[in-house]
Amino acid sequence: MIASEKIKRRLKFHRPSLRARARAPKQRTSLGAQFSAANLSSSLAMQHCTHCGYVQYPPTELCGRCLEDALVYRDTIGTGVLLARTELHHSLWEFFKRRLQQGTWVMGSVKLDAGPVVLLHIGDIRLKPRDRVIVFSHSDNSQSVVLIAVPEDCDITESSTRHEIVGSLGLDQPALKEGGI
Amino acid sequence: MMGYQGVALVTPVTWGYAKQSPHGAAWFIGSVLREMCKRAGIDKTQVDGFAVSSFSLGVDSAVALTQHLGIRPRWIEQANVGGVSGIVALRRAARAVQCGEADIVACIGGDGAAHRAFEATAANFSSWSIDASFPYGAAGPNAAFSLITSHYMAKFGARREDFARIAVDQRYNANFYPGALLGHKTLSEAQYLQARPIAGPLHLFDCVMPCAGGEGFMVMSEARARALNLPFAGILATDELHNAHAEDPVQYRGGWTEYIEAFYQRAGYGPEDMDFLQTYDDYPVISMMQMEDLGFCAKGNGRQFVNETDMRFDHSGSPKYKLPHNTCGGQLSCGQAGSAAGFLGVTESIRQLTGQAGNHQVPGARLGLVSGYGMVNYDRGLCSAVAMLTRTKT
Repeated sequence: MIASEKIKRRLKFHRPSLRARARAPKQRTSLGAQFSAANLSSSLAMQHCTHCGYVQYPPTELCGRCLEDALVYRDTIGTGVLLARTELHHSLWEFFKRRLQQGTWVMGSVKLDAGPVVLLHIGDIRLKPRDRVIVFSHSDNSQSVVLIAVPEDCDITESSTRHEIVGSLGLDQPALKEGGI
Repeated sequence: MMGYQGVALVTPVTWGYAKQSPHGAAWFIGSVLREMCKRAGIDKTQVDGFAVSSFSLGVDSAVALTQHLGIRPRWIEQANVGGVSGIVALRRAARAVQCGEADIVACIGGDGAAHRAFEATAANFSSWSIDASFPYGAAGPNAAFSLITSHYMAKFGARREDFARIAVDQRYNANFYPGALLGHKTLSEAQYLQARPIAGPLHLFDCVMPCAGGEGFMVMSEARARALNLPFAGILATDELHNAHAEDPVQYRGGWTEYIEAFYQRAGYGPEDMDFLQTYDDYPVISMMQMEDLGFCAKGNGRQFVNETDMRFDHSGSPKYKLPHNTCGGQLSCGQAGSAAGFLGVTESIRQLTGQAGNHQVPGARLGLVSGYGMVNYDRGLCSAVAMLTRTKT
């Protein structure tokens, strides 16, 4: 088989839609990978500026307010207000395409009391804009950290509770396809 | 701010729109350059300024393109700023011509659309989107704009029927513009409302279709345009502002609000004088936001405005107030050709003002406003830009 045919075959048969296991997007920048690492041992760690106190998200190298090279990861209180939410019916990503076959996927944006606006998965579909929420971080099935919001009165101090919420969303397991490659 | 006297915008070219294409960005950019030179009746060696915008050049840059295309510019600009790239190129090029840094500047936006290329663009759009928005489901801009749209609807009481006004009138315009990829289909309000859901309030006809294509125009002195016997449009005023209103938790306004009054003062005309308006319509809510921020109506009155305004190019709609809007159908009907989409409003405006629009010519178009918006780095579009263009006697 000549090389170009080989490439064509690969493109045809190695499509994401044919894979047995589809996972959430794994790709992160090196700063995103640091965010994941910092959050492994914490329910929510964010970059804090030791110079001006600004809380920075998404992760950057310099403080977005004072431009000092003084950002460190610290445990952060995840309370905030849900700004907007949306039900996704369509995705470009195979993992979510498979999850969407079982119903809509709910995501939204939250203004944290600590400052930043975060985009996140919504862990309780009853949440609506202006509701008080608490945000935590958790690894998804690609082993990258994502953020999840639940109602503020939800007790998420135990890591087992957080894991349960992530499991109920279907985020901890890859989306399977019978007979995939 | 200094005026733009003596600057001419010529040879609007739209090239090669296709839903999918085996060609790369350089093919679209080079084709637009070739067509513009043909129309201007000049050789490519006379082009001494080159402004280019593209998302899909990969490892290549504007400099690499000069070698590909065999041109020798003494002034280059590469502003990959998506929805404002056309206006930004126009502003920079106009100053270059005024200051004598270049005589003829070719401004071109072009992007290919290989199989699954849009996924790659969306997945690698910016470091913040890679880390903090791409992983949350939509894997593209639909989620961010769905949040902006639902927030806007809740804040100002806009309904899907109001957004339908924008999409339906634009499709009517596209039906008369042969270059529109969706121009062969009509769109009714019922079809718009019954379309399949995509994300929250966004349904199929709220979303642009990613495609391939190229758009371009040339900037030169009026004297040169006259010598070449080219119909041209002039610039009355322009402005731009980026990352404005960063304090708004969810975007409901753009940078235009910060400079639009001074802009109209410099131009010497107001919104009521405009014969057409071209907004950046990646989603109808963004067009509505621009109508408000550009002063066509008060903030929050966009929904009332679109219902009382006939936005067809030929004034054939029933509402009394006439404002042809996105006269070639905009991206919602033409398709979104990457960076070329940021040029679409500018090329269409030059076509209208120089009487080259053919079947979709706005009758008596004399003054037009074109506005740009773009670059969803994370949760909102950061860029805003606007230009007022005028018909000029040749």
